[in-house]
Amino acid sequence: MKRDQKITKLAKKLVELSMDNGVVTESKVAEVLAGFQQVQHRHHLAILKAFLNYLRREVALQTAVVSTPVGLSGDALSAIEVQFSKLYNRPVNVVTQPDTSLIAGVRVRVGDDVYDASVAGRLQRLAESVN
Amino acid sequence: MKAAFIILLFALSLPLGLFAAEDLHADSHISASADVEHTESVEPTEGGGVISELAGNFGISWPTLIAQMVNFCIVAFVLYKFAVKPISATLDERQQKIADGLQYAEEMKVQLAAAERERAEKIKEAAVAAQAILAESREQSKEMIEQKTQEAAAQAEAIIRKASEATELERQKMLSDVRQEVARLVVATSATVLSRDLSDAEKQTFSDSAAKELSSAGN
Repeated sequence: MKRDQKITKLAKKLVELSMDNGVVTESKVAEVLAGFQQVQHRHHLAILKAFLNYLRREVALQTAVVSTPVGLSGDALSAIEVQFSKLYNRPVNVVTQPDTSLIAGVRVRVGDDVYDASVAGRLQRLAESVN
Repeated sequence: MKAAFIILLFALSLPLGLFAAEDLHADSHISASADVEHTESVEPTEGGGVISELAGNFGISWPTLIAQMVNFCIVAFVLYKFAVKPISATLDERQQKIADGLQYAEEMKVQLAAAERERAEKIKEAAVAAQAILAESREQSKEMIEQKTQEAAAQAEAIIRKASEATELERQKMLSDVRQEVARLVVATSATVLSRDLSDAEKQTFSDSAAKELSSAGN
């Protein structure tokens, strides 16, 4: 238990070191990995696994996955990026993802939060409201 | 008893004495007739011969009388010693036994009466207690029947209420299932129709407006 706590604490510290002004950057991650390789920690594999999990979570929090059946205009994507960066008080990158099951509209996912403005989502909510 | 026996002996002694005196008188009369000439020749003694004259007139011979009395006393003593006394003791003992038996019988009669009274009282008390127990049992059985009846009625009501609740729940569930199925069909149909009927331009327009909606939602 104590070992796991130490590993978790160290992995979180590495994630903090991988950020540049609150944003995880590739260059910082590369520096952290290089430094960690030089240290040659006894539990390096477990620490790297935990670091990867926390890094993915952090990247997901900094990424807005925009699902839409058709391509959105650049203005719309920019507006979404600005709005969610403001909402989460940190820089959020927008990534588009085609999804024809939405019929029409947009669905945005940031980390574990989902914002749905699609036709399929509205129909689903309508069906749930009937129940 | 002894006094009565003594009186009896005395009464019997008198005839015996008289009989002895009579026999003596007869003897003396015979001797007197024989000695008439002698007595006529002899002059009676004057003075102290009055008692002897009287005894002679009554035919009493003192020695014979005394001997017979002594004999009689001896016989009376022997009879008293060996016959009267044991018989008297036996009679007394028997009389005592009879008295004791009578007394015992009286006591037994009293005790029997007391026992009879006690038995009657016991029977009376037992009857009263039995009546009380019977009344209490009847009351308890009545209460139990009433209680069981109420419990049965309550159980019946509970069963009916549960059955109605189950029926209502079942009905609600069926309605919900129907609604859910209808909604699912409506959504599926709408989705199919919209996917098929919406053009790309319409989808693009709707998506842009949705993106704008999301962008303006945080403001």
